[in-house]
Amino acid sequence: MAIAREAEPVGSLSEVREAGLDREDLLGMYRNMLITRGVEERGHILYKQGKIPGSFYTGRGNEAAAVAIGTAMGPDDVGTPLHRDMGVHIVRGVEPWRIFANYMGRADGPTRGRDGNVHMADARLGLIAMVSHLPAMLPVAVGAALAFRIRDERRVALGWFGEGASSRGDTHESMNFAGTRRLPVVFVCDNNQWAYSTPTHLEYAVEHLADRAQAYGFEGVVVDGTDMLAVYREAKRAIEKARDGGGPTLIECLTLRMEGHAVHDDAFYVPREMFEEWAKRDPLERFRDWLRENASLTDDEEDEIAAGVKHLLTEAMRRAEESPLPDPSTLTDGVYADPDELHPPHH
Amino acid sequence: MAELTYLQAISDGLRGEMRRDHRVFVIGEDVGVYGGAFKVTLGFQEEFGPWRVIDAPLAETAIVGGCTGAALMGMRPVAEMQFSDFVSCAWDQLVTVAAKQHYRAGTAVPIVVRLPSGGGFSGGPFHSQNPESSFAHVPGLKCVCPATPADAKGLLISAIEDPNPVLYFEHKHLYRRIKGDVPEERYTVPIGKARIHREGDDVSLITWGAMVYTASEAADQLEQDGVAVEIVDLRSVLPWDKSAVLESVRKTSKVLVLHEDTHTGGFGAEIAATIGEEAFEDLDAPVKRLSAPDTPVPFSPSLEKAFIPQVEDVARSLRELAEY
Amino acid sequence: MATGTQVDVVMPQMGVSVSEGTITKWLKQPGESVALDEPLLEISTDKVDTEVPSPGAGVLHEILVPEGETVDVGTRLAVIGPEGSAPVAADEPVAAPEPAPEPAPHYAPPEPAPHYAPPEPQPEPAAPAPAPADPAPVAAAPSGNGKFVSPVVARIASEHGVDPGQVPGTGAGGRVTKRDILAFIEAGGHGTAAAAPAPSGEPAPTTAQAPTAAPPPPPPAPPSAPRTEPQAPPEPTAAAEGEMLEPMSAMRRGIAEHMRRSLDTSAHVTSAIEVDMSSVVSIREKLKKEYQEAYGVNPTYLAFIARATIDTLRDYPYVNGEIRGEQIVTRNFVNLGFAVELADGKGLIVPVLRNAESLNLLGIARGIADVASRAREKKLLPDDVQGGTFTITNPGGYGTFHGTPVISQPQAAILGTYALVKRPWVVKDELGNDVIAIRPIMNITLTYDHRLVDGALAGRFLRDLRARLESWDESAYQG
Repeated sequence: MAIAREAEPVGSLSEVREAGLDREDLLGMYRNMLITRGVEERGHILYKQGKIPGSFYTGRGNEAAAVAIGTAMGPDDVGTPLHRDMGVHIVRGVEPWRIFANYMGRADGPTRGRDGNVHMADARLGLIAMVSHLPAMLPVAVGAALAFRIRDERRVALGWFGEGASSRGDTHESMNFAGTRRLPVVFVCDNNQWAYSTPTHLEYAVEHLADRAQAYGFEGVVVDGTDMLAVYREAKRAIEKARDGGGPTLIECLTLRMEGHAVHDDAFYVPREMFEEWAKRDPLERFRDWLRENASLTDDEEDEIAAGVKHLLTEAMRRAEESPLPDPSTLTDGVYADPDELHPPHH
Repeated sequence: MAELTYLQAISDGLRGEMRRDHRVFVIGEDVGVYGGAFKVTLGFQEEFGPWRVIDAPLAETAIVGGCTGAALMGMRPVAEMQFSDFVSCAWDQLVTVAAKQHYRAGTAVPIVVRLPSGGGFSGGPFHSQNPESSFAHVPGLKCVCPATPADAKGLLISAIEDPNPVLYFEHKHLYRRIKGDVPEERYTVPIGKARIHREGDDVSLITWGAMVYTASEAADQLEQDGVAVEIVDLRSVLPWDKSAVLESVRKTSKVLVLHEDTHTGGFGAEIAATIGEEAFEDLDAPVKRLSAPDTPVPFSPSLEKAFIPQVEDVARSLRELAEY
Repeated sequence: MATGTQVDVVMPQMGVSVSEGTITKWLKQPGESVALDEPLLEISTDKVDTEVPSPGAGVLHEILVPEGETVDVGTRLAVIGPEGSAPVAADEPVAAPEPAPEPAPHYAPPEPAPHYAPPEPQPEPAAPAPAPADPAPVAAAPSGNGKFVSPVVARIASEHGVDPGQVPGTGAGGRVTKRDILAFIEAGGHGTAAAAPAPSGEPAPTTAQAPTAAPPPPPPAPPSAPRTEPQAPPEPTAAAEGEMLEPMSAMRRGIAEHMRRSLDTSAHVTSAIEVDMSSVVSIREKLKKEYQEAYGVNPTYLAFIARATIDTLRDYPYVNGEIRGEQIVTRNFVNLGFAVELADGKGLIVPVLRNAESLNLLGIARGIADVASRAREKKLLPDDVQGGTFTITNPGGYGTFHGTPVISQPQAAILGTYALVKRPWVVKDELGNDVIAIRPIMNITLTYDHRLVDGALAGRFLRDLRARLESWDESAYQG
């Protein structure tokens, strides 16, 4: 029996305007989705060409949720996006060439080759770099919200986690702490229904993970993660509620992980019917269709956007390939921070 | 200058920093209304309010992870683990997130985690540990272990100032037993520098924390026998003052490393290995270690006494070394 | 991305723990065109089967690994050439595939995590130069008593040329402890815990005569507490064709030990100054006859120099000083040593003129003559060779004009005098113009221990010494 509210889809352009977006915004969001998918598709190919070491993860199928939430964040808000949330990095302004450079372990990636994949973040853009021990970033997001609360700032922190990671204690501790103090944090669950090869019924026993929010004293909502605008509307509500002192919200975005856990996983354990069904709900196609139908998106506009994205990514690849591998003599640099990296005390 | 107990010195240092810098806040279990399980923060919430002295739920991961997030947003959190033993619940946050953030992402994590450590009062296996060695092994963290009230205050202030995550091991058994002169003004004790607790020419004894006092009593005994023991109080375990230790070893050529933590993989092993590597030709005897045996900390007094190195144990080891 | 150059196709790594892959199917053959990202081949790995998109556009030149073969990650599988190019002559099928080349940095097969060697020894090595880089430590330990020698004892033994076997041990099982060997060295190496005398001053009660058991420490200067015997040499080796062997005399061994120890102890620096000895020459001419007749003594140049040196030492106490432990010793007296060469090249001895500051030129001349003759006749007493505070040596007897003598421990400096040579020299005439004159010039060196004496100080010392020699006032130095 479901407890969490299920979000309504967004119908018309006027509903969208109520949510605070105009046509330009919508085209921008569409473009960001194309960039997100383009970066990951290109990366996938590079990985298979042997140019990216280690492993390679994508968030195929989650582009709408990521872009929508990224768009709903305010300029001074912060977040801890994960490996299915490339769209958040794109919306916040991380340049694709630096993402490629990070994938390839080059010196110009945000981690200068010290970490790979999307374990990166530009702190100036309000992003905090993720770790592999998920969801260890949730307590950190809560901590950021705690700082905002202590300082009485109208800023919000967002913490992401997958349905698999929700099984770990960090989730409980984070939500519990945030709930007791009504901290300005929004918890986002990327429920893509498979944690590696583990299906949801082996991961949790409630109907929706968003049902758990009640247990922590705040609201939970489930939303179709492939519906860009529905996600946007819920995210915007939750973020502004937190900003106004209304405390946390848990948003569960339901999607399907359209590829393996990583590129080296062919996801043989996922029933083919699931892929077929969710392929029809591809977030990019869904949004494009919506734009054509409700916002008069023209062929020319579409082509122009696509060409622009292609050019951007081609340039980005070229620039990333020119970035050198990090110099081994810098291996031991930066283990510790220097005092002058931080500001002196203010009163 | 005032004569303060070890505990008072910690409070004094912490209070001073909170008054001086609005970014500093305290978070932990029972630190607010109760004033802390050991009363280190007694009176703090009355002075600073509930949003700077935060009573957290029983959630070490949330506490330490929360500190990391707040520090990334510019605060200077000082977390208290009620007993150092409970830091294992927050291990992941320290080792996975806090320690590695600067190296990977270039962002500093200026947090302090206070850890009431050590045994000697039948605290049992979960209220008596000295967990510094496992954290000393994690690049990106710092670990300090003051022994005197003056060092307790100075090192706490240094820890708060330091832009890196610092684990502050305060030995519970010293809280009220040890008194010393503590300057009233604000001062720092550098992290990574040892202090010569006692000078001597015949044997070097390297130690930290409460064992400094055990060592001292043993050294008094040896003085009767004409053996002058030099006690080096490391004060910091990560980074540790290698050059001070090597200098002492060069002087005496005989060295005993003493710690209250268990034997295998205790931090003394790192010190001993380093001495063997870098001062081999200065050694007139093998490098010896004395520590607790490889067991959990036992509860019953007779067992605990056999577990924690006693003055007689230290004196015996020193004598053996001196006679070698 | 291929443009005008060849592009390699490599086996990708499909997962962190995957180290190899098998080619299941080539989708293109050599000679066929290939577009960028177009599927080129299919592979199978432990984790997944997949196709590999082409990393370049152009023509497939050659296939290096055939279907069905399994190769390591990073292995070159094929080569793509630019559009319109011809395949190169086929290389022999790669049996041992090579790893991907630069410049397109492909990911090489996983290597063990970068081997992190401990950083180079920080600038705090085990203090005063660990093992003096010679095999001596090994040779130091071998003495026959079979007792364990600890590392620090072995090091100290080798640094001082002491055989630990000769040292009485008070450690466990009778071993030699660090204390034991340090005491032994300080006591002068006679195995008793005799109060070690201060290095300069009191002589140790050993005979300076017997050239065997306790050789008078000879070198360019006597260590006042005679050092222990140099260690016994390793087993004698046979002479090769054309070689002759002779054993080292005790004196030679002593010199060898002292020379080495002196260079190891002091920071030897030499400064030199050229002195116009015309004044001295002229005064000496005048005094020679008088001294010979009245006192039977030759006023040598050495005497003049010694006299001027003593006066100069008064102004520069460090040059007459000594480093003792962590303290600097200075004196109000000068025990002046003179290096004397023994007959038949047997060696060197340095008798000392005690309290030379109280002697005038005549006294010095007589004193030098006295100790020199007693030295040659082997009639020196222990007092005569100990307690020196400064030494003068005169290698210039053979015509050499420069040198760098070794300081006699534990002194701080040694003065060297060289051949007096007539040289063209620039001087001022009565009108103050520069003219060339012939002058008797002597080069004088001061070799000093830079631990105590700095270059500037040494320079001033020499400057003042020269000034005294060049403006010798004969009236001030009459007998």
